[in-house]
Amino acid sequence: MAYPYVSDREVRVLSKYFGDPKQRRIDTYVERGGYGALKKALGMGPGEVVDVVKASGLRGRGGAGFPTGVKWSFMPKDTGKPHYLICNADESEPGTFKDRELIRWDPHQLIEGCLIGAHAMGAQHVYIYCRGEFFETTQVLAKALEDAYAKGYAGKDIFGSGKDIDVTIHLGAGAYICGEETGLMNSLEGRRGQPRIKPPFPAAVGAFGMPSTINNVETLSAIPHILTNGGDWYRQWGTEKSPGTKLFCVSGHVNKPGNYELPLGFPLIELIEDVCGGMRGGKALKAVIPGGSSVPIINAEETRACMLDYEGCVAVGTMLGCASVIVMDETTDIVKQVRRMVDFYAHESCGQCTPCREGSAWTAKMMKRIEVGRGTEEDLDTLMEVTQQMVGTTICVLSDSVAAPVQSSINKFRDEYLALIRRGERVGAA
Amino acid sequence: MSDVPFKNPGWAGNTGEFELSEDEVRGKDFVGERPKHAGHASGSATMPYMLPEKNPDAPLFEGEYQERFEKILTRYPDKQAALLPALGLAQELRGYVSPASMDRVAELLDLSPAYVRGVATFYTMYNKRPVGRYLVQVCTNISCSLCGADEVFDAFLSQTDTEPGATSSDGNFTVIEAECLAGCGFPTCVQINSEYFENVTPDEVPKILEHLKSRNTG
Repeated sequence: MAYPYVSDREVRVLSKYFGDPKQRRIDTYVERGGYGALKKALGMGPGEVVDVVKASGLRGRGGAGFPTGVKWSFMPKDTGKPHYLICNADESEPGTFKDRELIRWDPHQLIEGCLIGAHAMGAQHVYIYCRGEFFETTQVLAKALEDAYAKGYAGKDIFGSGKDIDVTIHLGAGAYICGEETGLMNSLEGRRGQPRIKPPFPAAVGAFGMPSTINNVETLSAIPHILTNGGDWYRQWGTEKSPGTKLFCVSGHVNKPGNYELPLGFPLIELIEDVCGGMRGGKALKAVIPGGSSVPIINAEETRACMLDYEGCVAVGTMLGCASVIVMDETTDIVKQVRRMVDFYAHESCGQCTPCREGSAWTAKMMKRIEVGRGTEEDLDTLMEVTQQMVGTTICVLSDSVAAPVQSSINKFRDEYLALIRRGERVGAA
Repeated sequence: MSDVPFKNPGWAGNTGEFELSEDEVRGKDFVGERPKHAGHASGSATMPYMLPEKNPDAPLFEGEYQERFEKILTRYPDKQAALLPALGLAQELRGYVSPASMDRVAELLDLSPAYVRGVATFYTMYNKRPVGRYLVQVCTNISCSLCGADEVFDAFLSQTDTEPGATSSDGNFTVIEAECLAGCGFPTCVQINSEYFENVTPDEVPKILEHLKSRNTG
């Protein structure tokens, strides 16, 4: 039995047991070496654990790519206050579908990573914030966690170390913005999931006003492997600045979409043509969004030049984000797809900041107008101007995420916008 | 093995080698039937979900639900943090979160009704009005849209003879558009009550609806 989408180009570290239902069972997980990393970590000082993670060069897998070990080292020591580790499993960036797979196929890998992280940061309680739609997924996680408690791997005096670490699964209720770390903390506290102004940063004042750190599911799932094998081992894959492996979520017009775990720095075009079996129906590639809907679109030429690591994506004017590769072939209506993304952001704007609340709504209306043939060429200039005012002017980056697809698509696919505008002019729609 | 009459329920698709049952893919063989009181307190907040059978007058809370509510309270440093799970519990029982339900939850958590209203209306998963036995949420965001989600959405509407957000005359189905459900590689992704159905194509829609009508669990 093989997981439906595998490639011999993959390096399967985190995704090794995808498609193997036995891995959910704690006895199987332990037989395969599970919870060994936790035992090892508890025998080390918290600072030593942080040092191993720092040495691995692991960077946050939620999108920003901040070095995890450095983030952990921001947590204050000996404050006497409760510390919290929060696992961000609010996976809702369009194009991203890795966290759900990581949780439902290998729940103990995540639980073990959470417990190690909690030890490293002196956290007594870990909250795993899952998006509300993940009902089936969280049932698997809840059962696995129950088993971990029963075996004494979570809860009181873990492995006789005297350490008490609790883990609680918390469900969101359908709000994209709760994936933003301070929005998530507000939501966890029973508030509207509106992001907070930083500073103060979560490591100083986080959930419930206490020092907190938020890590993505994939980040924490990598931790047991790094603890077991060491930082240098992890660095055998990837690049100097982006070490390790990463799950790439490929969706859209390829023959074999799916999750593929590859070393960072993998060429994007090989991911599409080799790993994913090429374009569906042999059609030509038109555009790719390499990091989820919040990053700029790149055209076919840029796709061929793009290397999939944090720096490689920046080099072609986009971002790796959470490595959610959305592939579009020549039949794609770019304007319609951008309008769909903008509708999404307009719907998900939390409404706190005026540039985002008003800007996303007006952008959505203008995009719709162009799509139905009632736009004018001046609308494109207005769109550029409006979205420019949405960049860097708000508490969080949701607003910037509206600008990314709009501006990049107007710059790179202006002809498609103009064709719709001209067609509308011909039939007198305007 | 699965006796489901269509090719790829809730998993990554009809891909030859991958021979797991529906229960193995969904994890139901592992999870089993979770008790209504939710078992260990660590997972007590994971069970708010949509059930086919709803009782708009169900008390908030009693019996096993009260037990679950109390377990939830033990997991947070303050009562307010239990608000989202408590609203979820109310919805699980009653099928939607009415103003009266919000007021009751406010009372239980020592919050003001206005505050609870403000939070409940922020989140899209709390149904503000009753829905059918099955709430069908079709993702029409970019990855699914690229692969024909609009046609799948239309097929659900025409097969259930409803408008978006309305409930079919037999009370079985409410069909709405959803934002990305994180199943982008397996389009079109559809959430029906608590389950995901993936790789859904328009011609599979009638089979899925029959399948739902023929069983009683959600």
